[in-house]
Amino acid sequence: MKQLQQRHYVFIGLALVVIVTMLLPYRPEIVPSAETRRMHEYIDSLPEGSVLLISFDHEASSLPEIKPLALALLRHAFSKRLKLIGIALLPEGTGVGYGLMREAAREYDMSYGEDFVYLGFRPQYVAAILSMGESIPETFPEDYLGQAYDQLPMLNGIENYDDLACVISVADGSLTTHWVEYGHARYRVKVSAFVAASMVTTYDPYLASGQIYAMVSGLRGAAEYEKLIGIGGSGARGMLAQTSMHLYVILMIIIGNLIYFRQKQRGRG
Amino acid sequence: MRRRVPQLVCGLFGLLIFTLHFLTSDQAHRTYRLILDDYYQIVFAFALLVGVVSFIRVNLKAVERGKDRPYRIVSLLGLLLMPVLAMGWGIGGDSPFLWVFDNVQVPMQATVFALLAFYVASASFRGFRARSLPATVLLLSALLTLLSRSDLGGFMAEYITPVADWVRYNPSMSARRAILIGIGLGSLTTSLRVILGIERTWLGGGK
Repeated sequence: MKQLQQRHYVFIGLALVVIVTMLLPYRPEIVPSAETRRMHEYIDSLPEGSVLLISFDHEASSLPEIKPLALALLRHAFSKRLKLIGIALLPEGTGVGYGLMREAAREYDMSYGEDFVYLGFRPQYVAAILSMGESIPETFPEDYLGQAYDQLPMLNGIENYDDLACVISVADGSLTTHWVEYGHARYRVKVSAFVAASMVTTYDPYLASGQIYAMVSGLRGAAEYEKLIGIGGSGARGMLAQTSMHLYVILMIIIGNLIYFRQKQRGRG
Repeated sequence: MRRRVPQLVCGLFGLLIFTLHFLTSDQAHRTYRLILDDYYQIVFAFALLVGVVSFIRVNLKAVERGKDRPYRIVSLLGLLLMPVLAMGWGIGGDSPFLWVFDNVQVPMQATVFALLAFYVASASFRGFRARSLPATVLLLSALLTLLSRSDLGGFMAEYITPVADWVRYNPSMSARRAILIGIGLGSLTTSLRVILGIERTWLGGGK
């Protein structure tokens, strides 16, 4: 058998930390940040029947982080009786978005075509964003399941971004930037975002300038949003594992540096 | 001729889209929509076709040579299976297409992505050293950010999150803004060079 190397012990340690903390019944006390509260207050302030366009701009790989974020948003929107239009600008987001909308809609007894619709995937995201600013029915003549746009009662009278309250991009990459650059800059549609934690610094300048109205980020953002809507989900469940992993990485950095300085000292000696 | 025609088409459409962006007449909007809804999608369909044919050719050749044969066969089967499932049974809620997507593709991709955590842990142990002043500043910022995105309740000092937020909203955002402006100016000049035919490397084929 191949001998275990230093890095293998690091891997085993991490796996153990994550598994053990996921099994613990303890849930950390989450304090919602101002950013998450801003998004929550905005959705809360929308009158019943307002239309939100939710764009699933992510790939399947980031689902463990994106799913709690998206579900928290969908649950809140459905509980407020808002009308939701789902689309995907990346192919893999298509199946994921459809599944998540159905899951949340079932919990709130929402019916397809009247309370929510899923228009599916449109290739060439820049073209799709620009095209929807001109005409949504011409960009998506059919929904994900092949039903004609004008056969879906909820979509009556929805022509372009002027008929939407907001576009919310659920993203794990830089696609929200295109919503800002083309949707907001050209058509003045309000853009908000639920994004993976790794993208936070990318969107900070847009958030600070108001080009992104509100942003909820990462597993922590999901846990905060779950707390605000009063529904537990996988965000809060995953926070303990995330925290323990962060602590583990910090510990590795400290040990690594101690070894480094020790070796440096010996070298001098 | 083989290079002149694509160059001309690119330049003309570049100028057209640029001009249409600023026009507000109905005719301008109709033309804009035609390009976005039809032309773009036709180009995309052909690009996709080229990609699929190329994928099949590369993998078939590799299967013949016996290089990574099982993986190549699985890739090809996957490419064939998904369209067959979609066309045969649809893509709706309980379709086999969505079942395969949810139960094969999603877990596989999430697993591969999750491996990053192990590499991050290993790299932080072996490479994240305070070798110099800039490296130490980077290291401290990383530690602050990690702590601020954790939830330690009363165990964490109260000043950590405000300090991490200061790093995020000041040095980090300034650097990000500079990068964004740089990208914007770079995109602008590259686009102009392509439209005006100065930049020709995208045509391929050397000089």
